[in-house]
Amino acid sequence: MERRDFLKISAVSGATAALDACGKPERQLVRFIPETDLIPGIAVWRPSVCVMCPAGCGTTVRVMEGEAEVTRHGQLGLIKMGLAKKIEGNPDHPVNHGKLCPRGQSSLQVTYHPDRIRHPLKRVGARGAGEFQEVSWEAGIQELVTRLSAMDSAPAGQGLLIVARPVRGQRRVLLENFAKALGAPPPIFYQFYEDALLRRANALSFGHAQLPTFDLAHSNYVLCFGADFLGTWNSPVAQNVAYGEMRQGRPNVRGRLVQIEPRMSATGANADQWIAAPPGSEGLIALALAQVMLAENLRPASAAGQAGALIEGWATGLKDATPEKVERKTGVPAATLRRLARELAANPPAVVIIGDAPLAQSNGLFNALAVNALNALLGSVEQPGGLTFTPAPPGMAAAQGLPAQPTSAYASLRARLGLSKPAPPSPPQLLLLDGANPVYALPDAGVKEAIAKIPFIASFGNFVDETSVFADLILPDHTPLESWMDDVPESGSLEAVASLAPPTMKPLHHTRAMPDVLLEAAQKLGGSVSKSLPWTSYEEMLRSTYAPLQKEKGSIQASSTEEFWSAARKQGGWWSSEVVAPGQRPPTVGAAARAVQEAQFAGSAEEFPFFFLPYESQQFLDGALANLPWLQEMPEVLSTVMWGSWVEINPATASRLGIEQGDLVEVSSARGSVRAPALIFPGIAPDMVAMPAGQGHEQYTRYATGRGANPFKILASVVEPETGSLAWAATRVRIARVGKGKLALFGGSLREWPREFEKR
Amino acid sequence: MARQWGMVVDLDRCTGCEACVVACHAENNIATVGEDQAARGRAMHWMRVERYWEGNFPNVRVTYRPVFCQQCGDAPCESVCPTYASYHNPEGLNAQIYNRCIGTRYCGNACPYNVRFFNFYNPVWDKPLNLQLNPDVSVRSVGIMEKCTFCIQRIKVAEFRAQAEKRPLKDEEFNPACVQSCPPKAMVFGDLDDPTSEVSRLAQSNRSTRLLEEVGTLPNVIYLRSVS
Repeated sequence: MERRDFLKISAVSGATAALDACGKPERQLVRFIPETDLIPGIAVWRPSVCVMCPAGCGTTVRVMEGEAEVTRHGQLGLIKMGLAKKIEGNPDHPVNHGKLCPRGQSSLQVTYHPDRIRHPLKRVGARGAGEFQEVSWEAGIQELVTRLSAMDSAPAGQGLLIVARPVRGQRRVLLENFAKALGAPPPIFYQFYEDALLRRANALSFGHAQLPTFDLAHSNYVLCFGADFLGTWNSPVAQNVAYGEMRQGRPNVRGRLVQIEPRMSATGANADQWIAAPPGSEGLIALALAQVMLAENLRPASAAGQAGALIEGWATGLKDATPEKVERKTGVPAATLRRLARELAANPPAVVIIGDAPLAQSNGLFNALAVNALNALLGSVEQPGGLTFTPAPPGMAAAQGLPAQPTSAYASLRARLGLSKPAPPSPPQLLLLDGANPVYALPDAGVKEAIAKIPFIASFGNFVDETSVFADLILPDHTPLESWMDDVPESGSLEAVASLAPPTMKPLHHTRAMPDVLLEAAQKLGGSVSKSLPWTSYEEMLRSTYAPLQKEKGSIQASSTEEFWSAARKQGGWWSSEVVAPGQRPPTVGAAARAVQEAQFAGSAEEFPFFFLPYESQQFLDGALANLPWLQEMPEVLSTVMWGSWVEINPATASRLGIEQGDLVEVSSARGSVRAPALIFPGIAPDMVAMPAGQGHEQYTRYATGRGANPFKILASVVEPETGSLAWAATRVRIARVGKGKLALFGGSLREWPREFEKR
Repeated sequence: MARQWGMVVDLDRCTGCEACVVACHAENNIATVGEDQAARGRAMHWMRVERYWEGNFPNVRVTYRPVFCQQCGDAPCESVCPTYASYHNPEGLNAQIYNRCIGTRYCGNACPYNVRFFNFYNPVWDKPLNLQLNPDVSVRSVGIMEKCTFCIQRIKVAEFRAQAEKRPLKDEEFNPACVQSCPPKAMVFGDLDDPTSEVSRLAQSNRSTRLLEEVGTLPNVIYLRSVS
């Protein structure tokens, strides 16, 4: 072949190839100017903060150069940018010490979720139909400002309702100040599993309206009532880290764990001793243990101080709570109670934990106060190996978000929505949503209708869910990986912590950080609002609030504000170098002593023979995480179920009712019913059925929509009277087999171990 | 330098939190298969947490056990592979060479631990979930067996770095993703041939056992049984 011919043929085939590419749109993408100075193939680690649950773990994010398909100025194209690849725990962070739970690690998928809202949206279809149209940021923010200023005519801004997922730090301060400046009631920070009741109990007993921090690494004996503290409760990573040390971290000392609960939780499965007790009896059992210690002179009654004074009969030795009397009421043998009391007293430091279902009873506050008194009697309050309270960094108490008088967000929200009596004086005119999803997670009937009645709804959320589908305007937030992040953890650390982190990557889509949008709206609103929020960006706000920490003794020594700021950004925050000093605050005195209260349940035992436990899911917490495929496919540890819901039934109960593993079961309360496949579960009382929360979404991305069942739907509105918290474990149900269901079990069995009884 | 990578799992520390399960997915580009495939036993979890129920209510107890490739000294998966895709690498790992694998699944059948997973379909990441992929780990296509590698990509990076800095590799300078993530520090990774390493020291514990030891696979994963 001549050289000329060769060139001719090459040219033709080249052109054909080019034409061929034209037919495939993905090969036509333009390339934008790179938005990164990273070296290809070299990973850098950048700090961030986890917001998947309220624990407040510090993270470190692996960022590498990569190529992303993005839209810039309306044009689809490819861009080289820094991309987050993996999230691990920040090794220096005092809460999680370099560790991270499966949910925190999965937060990577929030940023890359295919159904994330990519730009501002305006509703075009009917309310709730989910039909939206793209609008510009300018138009979106202007619309919000117009609506907010139009609302001024309503009595003193009372018409504004802000509902956010629980957050702390300056994001919380910003939301609170924004509401205050507009004359609106404080924002409501709502998730289903809330902790207001325990904060109230700790305020009464110890003078701290705060969740406790447990120094388990130094405990020798831990007695836990119902709290899944190694799974989902309070600060699970911090508690896991400390638990490992408690078990095997000290030479020749191994701390013991005793768990008391009617359904074995993932934490209970680790216990040396697991004791089943009826729901709502926890406070009484705690008193029986205290009674034995008092009667046997293991400790003086006065050792319990204010916490003991809150319990009627404490000073005279709790005569009505003898082990024999408590055995008659709870079925827990008197000999067991005596033994536990003696073991507690004989193995200092010992600590008692209460959380989750025992607090979600009509007598939840009493249960918490009784356990607090037992802790005080043991001398475990604010002592090594006991329970303590994470201090706020100097000048940052507001960012820790602890009101003096903790009130239930459940009670506030249903009152504002007019779902409880009396109806609010001025119904909400404008709802601002920040990641909360009350239509899914607020169990009352009529939530959807109450939300749909609000004249204007704006959402900052990343996804269209059951609530934000009603929004008139969606101004999508960056994800945490794309945002300035900060937090002041309430618990989990023995030292004061103020986390801080710059964005780890550039925004993938056409989103904007909610705090920046709020600040811009405040400027546009002018007047008192712009005066109370004078910052032009969230970064500036963080800079000014963190600057005073430079003078405090802590993890950063810096000679200038600039040096401090750069060190804090690099380290992922500031933490005190001093471990909490015990007993800074005197307990509130003068609260009335309480008599033993028994739990009340909705539904009669004849018609509804089973207690119902809708427990917090290891995979999805209260359902906010059900959109993430890694968590959907992660087998829940005790059941190994993936991608679904289930109903846990005791083997004896199941065989009596003719229910087999995988049968579809209907669980009915006086309020309604849900259906899910049966899982024969050896660790649940015969008179109880349990369901994990989190599934049953009607609208929450392709991975969660229409999957499984939502147990919140059948809960009765039983509340704990003093705090108004929902007693979510106080509903009774009946069950019936209605057909065949399907369970996706990972079924982890070695073939050589045939005693696994489940069918695949 | 000859090494024998191994791991010690302290079952007294393990709480069943499953941080290791997601850490493994994130690090190793393991695909999620969806509900229908998962129900057919095709979910790919190189790392799983098994739980064994014993007794009847109320005297029930559970034991958790993280199970993953035991990196056997005498591995049944290696001897059955007709294409030498499963082979024993010089540092004692049961390695899998994806390019050699033709999907006979003999290795999966031979493995007594059920830790090898077959790609029944090409993996799919709904865009832009593909951006989460770790560029250090190859994505496996349909017809390929895959399994735990002890995060060999992390081992290699640490080895290259030590080589470049002309110093010996210390086993505490890196960890597989599961070990890194484990909140109660139940897992320790290192060189079992180095008598001074943490993993060797723990392996000497009187609580040490190996999974299905009687099968004769000589696992390099050592479990420390829980105390009760």
